[in-house]
Amino acid sequence: MSRLAQNSADADAPLKGHSFDGIEEYDKKLPNWWLWTLYGAIAFSFFYWFYFHWVGNPETSVQRLERQLSAIALAAASSGGAELDDTALWKMSRDEKIVSAGRKTFLTTCVSCHGVDLKGGIGVNLTDKDWVHGGKPTEVVRTVTKGVLDKGMPSWGPVLGKMRVAQVTAFVLSHHAEGEEIHMVPSPTKSAGAAAPAPAAAP
Amino acid sequence: MDTGGGKATIEYDDAITRMFLIAGILWGAVGMAAGVFIASQLAFWQMNLDLPWLTFGRLRPLHTNAAIFAFVGNMMFAGIYYSTQRLVKAALPSRLLARVHFWLWQAIIVAAAITLPLGLTRGKEYAELIWPIDIAVAVAWVIFAINFFWTLARRNEPSLYVAVWFYIATIVTVTVLYVVNHLQIPTGLLHGYPIFGGVQDALVQWWYGHNAVAFFLTTPILGIMYYYLPKAAGRPVYSYRLSVVHFWSLVFIYIWAGPHHLLHTALPDWLQSLGMIFSVMLWAPSWGGMLNGLLTLRGAWDKVREDPVLKFFAAGVTFYGMSTFEGPLLAIKSVNALSHYTDWTIGHVHAGTLGWNGFMAAGMFYWLAPRLWNTRLHSTALANFHFWIGLVGILLYIASMWVSGISHGLMLGATTEGGSVLKYPNFLDAVTANRAMMHTRMLGGMLYLSGWVLLVYNIWRTVASGKPVNGTAEVFVAERRSHRLTLAEALTSTPVMFTAVILACVLLWAIGWDFVKMLALLGLIVAMVVAVDRVESRLQGWGEWYDRLLANSLPFTVLTVFAVLIGGLVEIIPTIVMHKASTLEGVRQIPYTPLQLAGRDIYIREGCYNCHSQMVRPFVGEVLRYGDYSKLGESIYDHPYQWGSKRTGPDLHRVGGKYPHIWHLRHMENPRSVSIGSPMPNYPWLLQNRADLGSLKAKFDVLRTLGVPYPERSQDRLAQEAAAEAKVVADDLGKSGAAVEPDREIIALIAYLQQLGKSEQVPKATTAATAKPMR
Repeated sequence: MSRLAQNSADADAPLKGHSFDGIEEYDKKLPNWWLWTLYGAIAFSFFYWFYFHWVGNPETSVQRLERQLSAIALAAASSGGAELDDTALWKMSRDEKIVSAGRKTFLTTCVSCHGVDLKGGIGVNLTDKDWVHGGKPTEVVRTVTKGVLDKGMPSWGPVLGKMRVAQVTAFVLSHHAEGEEIHMVPSPTKSAGAAAPAPAAAP
Repeated sequence: MDTGGGKATIEYDDAITRMFLIAGILWGAVGMAAGVFIASQLAFWQMNLDLPWLTFGRLRPLHTNAAIFAFVGNMMFAGIYYSTQRLVKAALPSRLLARVHFWLWQAIIVAAAITLPLGLTRGKEYAELIWPIDIAVAVAWVIFAINFFWTLARRNEPSLYVAVWFYIATIVTVTVLYVVNHLQIPTGLLHGYPIFGGVQDALVQWWYGHNAVAFFLTTPILGIMYYYLPKAAGRPVYSYRLSVVHFWSLVFIYIWAGPHHLLHTALPDWLQSLGMIFSVMLWAPSWGGMLNGLLTLRGAWDKVREDPVLKFFAAGVTFYGMSTFEGPLLAIKSVNALSHYTDWTIGHVHAGTLGWNGFMAAGMFYWLAPRLWNTRLHSTALANFHFWIGLVGILLYIASMWVSGISHGLMLGATTEGGSVLKYPNFLDAVTANRAMMHTRMLGGMLYLSGWVLLVYNIWRTVASGKPVNGTAEVFVAERRSHRLTLAEALTSTPVMFTAVILACVLLWAIGWDFVKMLALLGLIVAMVVAVDRVESRLQGWGEWYDRLLANSLPFTVLTVFAVLIGGLVEIIPTIVMHKASTLEGVRQIPYTPLQLAGRDIYIREGCYNCHSQMVRPFVGEVLRYGDYSKLGESIYDHPYQWGSKRTGPDLHRVGGKYPHIWHLRHMENPRSVSIGSPMPNYPWLLQNRADLGSLKAKFDVLRTLGVPYPERSQDRLAQEAAAEAKVVADDLGKSGAAVEPDREIIALIAYLQQLGKSEQVPKATTAATAKPMR
């Protein structure tokens, strides 16, 4: 911008007649776009309150959550026909692609308690013939899905979803053979559970 | 005295400015270095060094407190002492008070730098300092206020310049905010519990936290902009009337916006909505400041090319405009659903602190130093280089935080299989995905810090080449009382009355019930029409009225106090009165047992809240990941509340009972033994230190005073109960193969973590009707 244009622009701007430590002030009109931004925001706020807190009856975030959760529950119930049986799971456990997908889930989710080699640690050993909560494929699926909360096994169904639960079960089964002996034992670390916090002394 | 008046020469107290300037520069370097260090911890967990006092959770508060109170605090005091004396043509009345202010402030900073790494904290963001230091802060602030208003009282300039308006707003508002948010009852010399708990504490905390940004990092710097920018540019300020409009709208609106830090939490809906709409309305008032800064540079842009001072100012004001646009954007509920708890917020804050505060500080220091030491800046080229390296640093910082924040939010919220399961069930997926961004952020911070080191060197050489001088001025001591507005006149004047009526109508409309609502709306419309009519016909008169108001600092200050108090009162009082509302959703927190409380205080000491929230929002993605969403009643006994503001790690509100005790033990000892790739520090000392059970009596007594339903128990009894609980946990760990003495801190911490998210059902409150009108 040339100095000339600048000066002429200033020439018609009124200076407020005061000076503070040499600082002077113009008294220019407020830019229209700025004013409309201000008015627009105030009008928006007015109508927002008007709708959400007076006349409207909008869905609250909790109502929306409940609607979405019941839709999920409904979908889960109606897809019940596709339940997996033992045979299908054993078949999956020999499918290289499914097993490697299951391994991926295992290494991020289960490894912290059952170990990289599945030999256990915080959780039980998954490679031997001893089973605590049932060793049939569908029983393994049930344990992963629902968890055994008082023994410290979280319920992974809501987090992983059916597909990944089936994959990770297939991965575990890939360490076993169909028809293998299933040896039921009580929990090796009795009451390793966390879910029962110290009995609440009267607060 | 009559008009009289004579000529006098006054000498300004510039020594105090020199002291604060040097302190601001040095603490700035410390605060930024702490920032780079903790950024490196987020990139490489090994940088936590397995030392308690160097872990992220304890150092992050040190970084934020140093940046806000040590760096910007000292810079602000330097800027205000220098400019106020000149703007009102009066020397500081008490050199002694100013020195007490200076040394007390430095002592506070040193105390903070010692206590925070030791884990002595209140567990509330930007309000972590323990109560003895809090009192010192309040005293130092009041000393500053006395000296400031005393200077105004002795002024030889009849009217108050816009910079002084912003200084006044800063001083009165920070006093109110700081005092209210630090109300607490000590349990000992180094510890206390805030008097507010749960949702109340959350609301008060963010009313404070948000307005610490507003009145500690924004208004004083705007005042500084209004003095130093036109001085450096040699140009008149763009628009006086814009100053008037944006000052009043800014101080009035800012205070309401605090709840935008709590969107989608258990905070009542009507407060969330207020937080959002006032943030949106704040956009234009903030940009008014930016416009007055940038447009003042019209006609001086040729100077910007050569002068580093103007470069820093121009960029600083631009960053102010950018972050005050981003702020309202992030406060919109649907945007916040994505951005909250992520690095996006961190990037937003740093656009403000590095861009606005840091660059305005640099510009001011480069401008002041040659004048205070009567010399020339050592190297303009070096200052220009500082500008460019700093600018690149900021851009790397905020760009990496945008990428990290948005991808973090999207990944954690993503669902698959028809929205029924999480796409990324492992929280760490979102952490590992952003590893490169952590490195980029660290690099940006390093560049910015390097620029600051150049400033330190440049100013040091400048100071060494000159010698200190104090400014002087010739003043005409004039009697000026005749046309000043008295307090009573000011409060009963037409503009104030109109504002009061309009505000009352809006409030009644918003919170009233049917008939009152309609009446208020009608009243509002009538008042607006009349006001507009009056403004049209009497604009001249109102302008003169404002000129008279500016000639007296008392009514001006009182009106400012009113403007800032309204928002806080409307939002906080109903929340405190409606304590019963805590049972609205039918669940109530179970008060902590002695061992759990001891564990909770360890959680707070280690600063876990810096990375972990305890607030599951009502979204499908969160409910699938963490469990049921958090209700209002589930934290009412939490003094302080621990909802958190950032999820570097997962939410913990429903972690209780999710894993066995042994999992937590292994995880605290070495997080990577159970969570591969976790950036969390190791906490081996928790397995060695004995838990502090000796102060349980004092702590339970204070909590009972604050309304937590605990029976009276002796110290022995509390310690016995804690020991009995500890034995149960330790026995269980023993069965899982880990031998830990029951008196260790880890046992208490596990007891606390396993209790999280456990609540009891209570009958739904019948008081629901009282909350209805506002829903």
